[in-house]
Amino acid sequence: MPGFDFSNHTRNAALHARGVPLPKSTSTGTTIVGCIFDGGVVIAADTRATSGPIVADKNCEKLHYIAPQIWCAGAGTAADTEFTTALISSQLELHSLSTGRKPRVVTCMTMLKQHLFRYQGHIGAYLVVAGVDPTGVGLFTVHAHGSTDKLPYVTMGSGSLAAMSVFETQWKPSLTQEEAVKLASNAIQAGIFNDLGSGSNVDVAIITKDKTTLKRGYVRPNQRSEKQKSYIFARGTTAVLNEKIIRKEEISKYVSVHDLGSEETASGEKMDIDA
Amino acid sequence: MEFGTTGMLNEDGIHVDMERLKKGEVNLGTSIMAINFKDGVILGADSRTTTGAYIANRVTDKLTQVHDTIWCCRSGSAADTQAVADIVHYQLGMYGVMNGRQPTTQTAAAMFQELCYENKDRLSAGLIIAGWDERHGGQVYSIPLGGSLHKQSYAIGGSGSTYIYGYCDANWREGMNEEEAVNFVKGSLQEAIKWDGSSGGVIRMVVLTQKGADRHLYLPDSNYAVRHQ
Amino acid sequence: MAAMFSQNPLMNGPNYSFNQTPTAAAAGNKEHAFYPYTDNGGSTLAIAGEDFTIIAGDTRSTSGYNINTRYQPKVFKIGGTTSSQDDANIILSVVGFAADGEALKERLDAIVKMYRYQHGKPMSVKACAQRLSTILYGKRFFPYYVHAILGGLDEEGKGAVYSYDPVGSYEREQCRAGGAAASLIMPFLDNQVNFKNQYMPGSGVGHDLQERERKPLPLVEVEALVKDAFDSAVERHIEVGDGLLMMMATKNGIEEKYIPLKRD
Repeated sequence: MPGFDFSNHTRNAALHARGVPLPKSTSTGTTIVGCIFDGGVVIAADTRATSGPIVADKNCEKLHYIAPQIWCAGAGTAADTEFTTALISSQLELHSLSTGRKPRVVTCMTMLKQHLFRYQGHIGAYLVVAGVDPTGVGLFTVHAHGSTDKLPYVTMGSGSLAAMSVFETQWKPSLTQEEAVKLASNAIQAGIFNDLGSGSNVDVAIITKDKTTLKRGYVRPNQRSEKQKSYIFARGTTAVLNEKIIRKEEISKYVSVHDLGSEETASGEKMDIDA
Repeated sequence: MEFGTTGMLNEDGIHVDMERLKKGEVNLGTSIMAINFKDGVILGADSRTTTGAYIANRVTDKLTQVHDTIWCCRSGSAADTQAVADIVHYQLGMYGVMNGRQPTTQTAAAMFQELCYENKDRLSAGLIIAGWDERHGGQVYSIPLGGSLHKQSYAIGGSGSTYIYGYCDANWREGMNEEEAVNFVKGSLQEAIKWDGSSGGVIRMVVLTQKGADRHLYLPDSNYAVRHQ
Repeated sequence: MAAMFSQNPLMNGPNYSFNQTPTAAAAGNKEHAFYPYTDNGGSTLAIAGEDFTIIAGDTRSTSGYNINTRYQPKVFKIGGTTSSQDDANIILSVVGFAADGEALKERLDAIVKMYRYQHGKPMSVKACAQRLSTILYGKRFFPYYVHAILGGLDEEGKGAVYSYDPVGSYEREQCRAGGAAASLIMPFLDNQVNFKNQYMPGSGVGHDLQERERKPLPLVEVEALVKDAFDSAVERHIEVGDGLLMMMATKNGIEEKYIPLKRD
């Protein structure tokens, strides 16, 4: 059976009725914006993810890939924006392969709205869809219930009011690319500084007929200041109650162990850590 | 996701709840209308969509084309009305291809009614369908919340319509010419926008005659006096 | 009642303002009631040293996802002779519902001023602490919705910190964090001020390890600790930020210090 698994629904509803709280999902109480300019479209987002009043991720990615020339900014439930955009991205690529045409922004928007409408708002994805296709530039918003809007400049998320105030005072028709990027970035920063659900950095994606440019950390106005003290503990500070050493020879029975050369370092994505 | 709790299970076991809009849903708290005139029909609407007190779109197009000369005005939930209009748009397209002739306004209205009536427990959609066809000329149909269908000489709808029943009743005349009809629609919607907080922005119109569809746009900057576009 | 400001969601659900007003009861019927409290967020922190006390608080005031102001102090001097409070020797911090905090501060200040007028000498921190408890308990069934921390120098000149729950239960402590980010800051303080979970390297094996000896930290060290604690709280709690207002009580009186914090 494709789709969602509802087998725990009745049990969870019964538990909830008895006062057991619902699990908290990571929400991107967010600021996202989009703005068209002469020859393309720009979308931007902040990078804070929250769980209630706690910052769950200080530098998360809210700009999602749909197709090479179509990108999506997501607000709402993090998991829903992630999976919904991935699902539609996949379907759109298959559609593009079977028709032999480049994917269109309206097609993407229609697929998203029909998917979200089917789930009657239970999938909490609030999206800004933007891109350039053979018919021209496209910019839409899609709400979780499945309604859509087509506008030259859009904002969504908890910081949408702060961001919209920037657009409503500074937007003008036929912007240049540089002006549009600056405007979108300013709108996001209005959200970052005035909305508690938004924070950290500004991510920007610029889409034109010829190429897409993703600028991760386009503005980083919230760098952590240097710590006053060092919090390095002397070796042996932590009590060790018991110790067991598992040797390479033993663990090799269960997993394959690959030796690194003396100069070689482990590859993979580097983790963000404070100094 | 929480739902409104105004729903009541009556003694007869029938669920009656016409007030509901799912929480956080985008609402077309609207002023819409459509009228017959000498040469066809005119549809008119304001352009405000809201989520709570926030105006999510101040230049919304609530006049939606579902066939060449069949259009509808949408009020209620934006998601629901868009979904219904998209389905009927598809069905009318298929009808034209399969039968080799254009659908009538009545056919379109019946398609809308089918969806609105059969899904009355799941939809909050108030629609006005207006169109022009060779056989009947201009026609106006209204489909309010429960999914009933009413053929009318003119129809008004949305939250703003409550303010203009008197105005429309006093100023309506059968068989107006185009200029008179446009002024009637514009005058009515101006009043609705003036008194209804959920309506506002620009006034959009579509004039449907034998010649096809003609769009009008009136901006509040000039007190809706000048036609743009 | 002490759990009212526990920010541990696993214990009693989130206590932040945007989820605070009761909406639907478990049965599903809507409750309509006037709710007189708001949580204005923010955090406070107090540390008692050998011959000083530091009380600090951020200066942001919030409601829901909005910032009311970036500068509203939560730390006050109490019981000076004049409104400028130049000669005050007691510090009070209040976090929680800002309106109640303001009312509580005004009331305590008036009482301590009256004491000075009637007795011809300033009130001791110990006496003030007991009086504050009485004030809070006086509103047992309509509490001041605040986490109060009182500090100064005791009769021996040693640093003293008293912390309160909203209805007046109090305790003298070495250090205490209050408000939105209390659950983030308090474990850090336990470790860095009271050296909890720190052992002396090589002093034994397993359970025989000797705990690191507690020794009072100097003022500059504590100042650095407070700054680091708030910088970290700002990183992870959305209701904390904008500015840090610190007050240091020493034998020379109370010194005030303001440091900007991140504003996102």
